[in-house]
Amino acid sequence: MQANKEKIRAFIFSNFLFDAEESALSNDTSFLEQGIIDSTGVLELVEWLEETFAIKVEDEELIPVNLDSVDQLAQFIVRKTA
Amino acid sequence: MLLTDYLLSATEQQPDKQALLYGSRSFTYLDLFTVAHGVASWLNEFHFEPGFRGALLSDDAFEYITAYFGILLAGGVVVGLNTQTSDAGLAYVLNDCGASVLFAAAKFNRYLKNALPRVPSLKALVTSVQQQEQTVPATCMVQDFATLGTYPHQGSNSLPFRSSSDFAQIIYTSGTTGKPKGAVLRHANLMANTTSIVSYLDLHSSDRVMAVLPFFYSYGNSVLLTHLAVGASLVVNQSFLYPNVILQQMADYEVTGFSGVPSTFAILLNRSAIASYSFPHLRYLTQAGAAMSPDLARRLKQVFPTAKIYIMYGQTEACARLAYLDPDEIERKPGSIGKGIPGVELTLRDTMGKMVSVGETGEIVARGENIMAGYWNRPEETGEVLRPEGLWTGDLARSDEEGFLYIVSRKSDLIKSGSHRIGPKEIEDVLAEHPAVHEAAVIGIPDEILDERIRACVVLRPESCCTEKELQMHCKKLLPQYKVPHEVVFMSDLPKTTTGKIKKNELRPTEIAR
Repeated sequence: MQANKEKIRAFIFSNFLFDAEESALSNDTSFLEQGIIDSTGVLELVEWLEETFAIKVEDEELIPVNLDSVDQLAQFIVRKTA
Repeated sequence: MLLTDYLLSATEQQPDKQALLYGSRSFTYLDLFTVAHGVASWLNEFHFEPGFRGALLSDDAFEYITAYFGILLAGGVVVGLNTQTSDAGLAYVLNDCGASVLFAAAKFNRYLKNALPRVPSLKALVTSVQQQEQTVPATCMVQDFATLGTYPHQGSNSLPFRSSSDFAQIIYTSGTTGKPKGAVLRHANLMANTTSIVSYLDLHSSDRVMAVLPFFYSYGNSVLLTHLAVGASLVVNQSFLYPNVILQQMADYEVTGFSGVPSTFAILLNRSAIASYSFPHLRYLTQAGAAMSPDLARRLKQVFPTAKIYIMYGQTEACARLAYLDPDEIERKPGSIGKGIPGVELTLRDTMGKMVSVGETGEIVARGENIMAGYWNRPEETGEVLRPEGLWTGDLARSDEEGFLYIVSRKSDLIKSGSHRIGPKEIEDVLAEHPAVHEAAVIGIPDEILDERIRACVVLRPESCCTEKELQMHCKKLLPQYKVPHEVVFMSDLPKTTTGKIKKNELRPTEIAR
């Protein structure tokens, strides 16, 4: 799971936080609360998840408990690939 | 009558009615009035000049609404700030309007350290928590917002007298030629527009609207005022990150209304679990920002069978609304934005000011009580749009023989991306600051979800090297996220007229190899 967290962090920094310091994002930081991602950013994130981890994210799964932090994303990937 | 009478009247008539619901919190009209009055009483002790500017930087609906009415009750002018901002962007707007007081939610304090020292007019900062480590200029006092709800109320007689012709609000809008400019709206402007919208949407105190649009934009501001004006309830969730959460709230709260822009409905229809919900109480949907395709209208009708769909058109300079299409006409007049709303006269004119014939293209010119007083401290730009014929909107349209209007194009280069209106010049200026960039042109290109995506066409300096990501990072440092180009296209040259003006139209249709 740690390797996936690193991949997720790299994606978030590359696309939304750019050259912000590593400390700008904790793994349990809420993307929603901190305004890190906007509504179209979520769609980009989902597209990346599907391509990178070969999973299909259903419309019903677009909810905070699955997508709103690095930790939640990593757990979601585990559930989807189990 | 003043805007504040909406809140006073609703509180008198139904003090315990739920006015605002969001997250796990709910507030009655009496709650809103009590805190708004506390804010006003506190502000009144500063003895600011009537018409002082009070700025709001908050995505907390309760704080925003109570500070909004508190500033108005104290005789001030409200300036709602875009919460997707930057240090420089915040300092610019605060300076431009000469803000005396800023209400900022704690999460935005990260902008204040760099921005506030550059705003000498600011006398007070209100935050939701005391930020001791916050660097605030010594001339600026800091007040905890939480204390204002219990601040000793001063009688209404001690609050300044204001009239309906006084300025109530400044809403900043993107300019195509540079920095944002503030549209100055009088109480009478906003109330005329509110009355008209309430009338054609047939709003009542029994209505409950799902408010997803930010209040600092003209459209969201209009949703707020129209529903408070009739004593209705607002269910607020202004983050559209997880549309399923919004849908669940719409079902849970049995909302009767929903307002969005084209991208709102595109996301709901294409990337949400909307088909698994039902909304038997929903009676109206409103869309502004563009006409609705017949296909989209059909799909919306399928998932919201009980709702009337109102297509609307307007501008910040008109307090929000200028035209709407009667829901019964959607199938008969596909692609139309309808006709002028009650109290607004719309004409189509050529560049000489002469009205054009049916079927010919002309610029939409509007007259009505809702038209702004002008742009804040910008007499020249005001004079360009407020002319004897009315407000020249910059939108080109044609009308059919029954008077229904159809937008043909925009005269300006303004980019419509999601709920944002973005001036390309500001982005071009930032790109030009990058040492590798020789010149840049920024355009909007069609996007299924956003309406338009931001594309930067960039020419690099000779022997310079730069990647798309590097330029996006450069923009991110200086601009809010929604202004960062979605894509960068590198070109050897930009097409230009003989006078050196970039021919953006030639950049748009051609798909350039990236």
